[in-house]
Amino acid sequence: MIRFIFLALLALVAAGGDAEAAGAKLAQVDDLKDRRIGVLQGSAHVEYVEKTWPRATLLQYNTPADLLLAVKTGKVDAALSDAEPLREVLREDKTLGVLGGNLFSFPEGVGFRKENTALLEQFNRFLADLKKNGVHAEMVDRWMEKNITEMPVIANPNPGGELVVGISDGGLPFVAIKDGKLIGFEIELSERFAAYLGKKVRFTNVDFSGLIAAVATGKVDMIVAAIFITDERKQSISFSDPYYEEATRVFGLKKNIAAYGTSITDADSGLPFLERAAASFHSNIIHEKRYLLLWEGLKATVLISIFATILGTLLGALVCYMRMARLSALNVPARIYIGLMRGMPILVLLMLIFYVVFASVNIDPLLVAVIAFALNFAAYSAEIFRTGVEGIPTGQTEAGVAMGFSRLGTFFHIVLPQTVQRILPVYRGEFISLVKMTSIVGYIAVQDLTKASDIIRSRTFDAFFPLILVAVLYFLIAWMLMLALEYVERATDPQRRREAARA
Amino acid sequence: MISIEHLSKHYGDLCVLKDVSAEIRKGEVVSIIGPSGTGKSTFLRCLNLLEQPSGGAIHVDGVDILARKTDIAKVRQKMNMVFQSFNLFSHLSALENLTIAPIKLKGLDRQTARTKALDLLRLVGVAEKADHFPHELSGGQQQRVAIARCLAMDPEIILFDEPTSALDPTMVSEVLSVMRQLARDGMTMAVVTHEMEFARDVSNRVFYMDEGLIYEEGTPEEIFGNPKKEKTRAFVNRIRTWSYRIGSPDFDRYAMNAEIEAFCEKHILPRETRYNLALAIEEILEIYKPDLRTAALDLAVTWSEKTDALEVTFERSGEWPNPLESDQPDDFGMRIVRRVAEAIDYRAADGKSRLVIRIGKN
Repeated sequence: MIRFIFLALLALVAAGGDAEAAGAKLAQVDDLKDRRIGVLQGSAHVEYVEKTWPRATLLQYNTPADLLLAVKTGKVDAALSDAEPLREVLREDKTLGVLGGNLFSFPEGVGFRKENTALLEQFNRFLADLKKNGVHAEMVDRWMEKNITEMPVIANPNPGGELVVGISDGGLPFVAIKDGKLIGFEIELSERFAAYLGKKVRFTNVDFSGLIAAVATGKVDMIVAAIFITDERKQSISFSDPYYEEATRVFGLKKNIAAYGTSITDADSGLPFLERAAASFHSNIIHEKRYLLLWEGLKATVLISIFATILGTLLGALVCYMRMARLSALNVPARIYIGLMRGMPILVLLMLIFYVVFASVNIDPLLVAVIAFALNFAAYSAEIFRTGVEGIPTGQTEAGVAMGFSRLGTFFHIVLPQTVQRILPVYRGEFISLVKMTSIVGYIAVQDLTKASDIIRSRTFDAFFPLILVAVLYFLIAWMLMLALEYVERATDPQRRREAARA
Repeated sequence: MISIEHLSKHYGDLCVLKDVSAEIRKGEVVSIIGPSGTGKSTFLRCLNLLEQPSGGAIHVDGVDILARKTDIAKVRQKMNMVFQSFNLFSHLSALENLTIAPIKLKGLDRQTARTKALDLLRLVGVAEKADHFPHELSGGQQQRVAIARCLAMDPEIILFDEPTSALDPTMVSEVLSVMRQLARDGMTMAVVTHEMEFARDVSNRVFYMDEGLIYEEGTPEEIFGNPKKEKTRAFVNRIRTWSYRIGSPDFDRYAMNAEIEAFCEKHILPRETRYNLALAIEEILEIYKPDLRTAALDLAVTWSEKTDALEVTFERSGEWPNPLESDQPDDFGMRIVRRVAEAIDYRAADGKSRLVIRIGKN
């Protein structure tokens, strides 16, 4: 069954990828003026496209992997990309080609919080040293030209303190994940700087569009993510001296670009379907131990789901108690809380808690995710509990009280067992939807299942396989958790208990 | 065992209990009767504080249960309650309904509690259904389980709040016979009930409640045989009344007749009786007609469910001579009246003249 769904989805996506893009082939860069152009959200490319081709349709994507997917499926006619990562992509994917030459080039710098001038100055001194002793040129040669993906050993004995570096895994040569470890030019640069400071480095993987916010609010000490030094960005953060000069190029499907002629075929498309699937499986899961990423992501997703549910249930019980209290000092705040939580998108809540509430606190994003989802879940579960409790005839409470149970005892021995039985089906649905909602935690740099697939996509440039894989994994998690709750439901059903006792 | 002094209960402006004082002694069966809405259930529910009294004092075995320091839960354990709607715990089997409180509140071990519960279920005749859940039992069975549930806590007194009102007529007797059995065994009981026979046969004392008071109190013989007060008498004889005021000779005869018809319909009076009643009223009004211009006439029909007696009363102010005797006694109308009446009584005293005609059965 699962295999069938998988194959059907794959076929569907593949069909989408073959769709012919509208319009004539692109001969030169200016042909883009009225086309659909994809860019990375928050990058300097946005501004460039808006200024140069005001009539073009601008589509912004969150990660390089999404951008690539958009190009391959024909959602955009062409996309802008930094030249270095693009080189990696083109090496892997023969269906893609570049259009024209360099559009422009920009210096790239490390971003710091404006107040943190000390660290900025230290970095500039470090960078000057690096350039003077030739290490910088050697790094550029290794990562950019020779395409060597081994990290050198950087001596850093007895580090004291921590340097938190915000990165965005846009792929080689700057940042990528290989064998479960971060590699790339910027990783090496950061590690060398940490060694220079005598500190231990810790990386936080953030979506590119969230980087500036992360450093401006002090979530990270500095951001190293091939960021162009622009005047606009200088208003929110300060930049180091440039460490690389990055060109920008346009790329698209070869078949849409005049320069490549008509005889372009996908080298892989000749292979039988199963072999292609096997190759995808190998490159997306086995190669460079990418299953480790998926495993870590899976753990994060399950961890957030379960702890948010437990915490949310407890908090929900409290809110429910307050909501049902006669005292308006209790029930009014509960009403407001429930209204607020149910009216706010969980993503907004997540970002608010991470970037505003805990702005200057060094808190594990995983914990923030648990808190945010628990807060949200509490509002829903409080209302579920309330309907459950109100559904129990008051006569039974009276009978319990009249026979000598305290109010609390009546609740625990008589009302609660019946409530649990009643609300479990609805509660189960709410829980499953929570599991799926956690897929947005990538926004605050938690590497969950969805984020893991993004990372793999940014490395393998295979858009389809990782997406379908995580879809299947989410389904499996939801299914197993559902089975577990169904078991609880059956175990607490008094009728079944009796039948079990009789058997 | 329980003494109640000047108990009162208000809901906002509505006064349900005005001033109730009473005593319930050990081993006694007290029945509380009275029309609906006179505070019988409220009175009972005040005794175990399911309703918080607005004023007065309640002592159980000398303990003031309204005192702040009294552990009311402890008091309730020896004064259990049977409800109109049974209120069994629907997630527990009949047996578990009996064992939960002894296990959780008295710390009885499971086995002892189960053995005792089974004995009690046997006592009330539902041992066969011990494993059944409340929704699988009939109303009568549920109520018997509820009584057994009370007994499981070894109470000193059981409060019954209209225990048979929610039952099909066919199931009433099975519950009543369990209650009779309990009374014989010497259980102290306070029973709010509409079952007059039960109240008369089983109780030691009867409280008739009306107007938010214990209106009359006595032995069943006193209350049912010889009630001292008007309302009590009307209640125990199950007297139903209909009244109408005629203010002028041009009154709406058809509206009045329709009301009489509806009254007879409601109490299922036989066709013959209805006909006789209508005839008597029509003829008497004919006789009274000349005077209607000067004095208003109050017409009342009363019917006692218990004695099956139907009476019609004509009353007006002023001491008038008996109109049935004054005129022509051989009048055709008068002959009809005498034929349908079983008894005729005329009294003119204290500024009032009253004619009472008892309608015969055929």
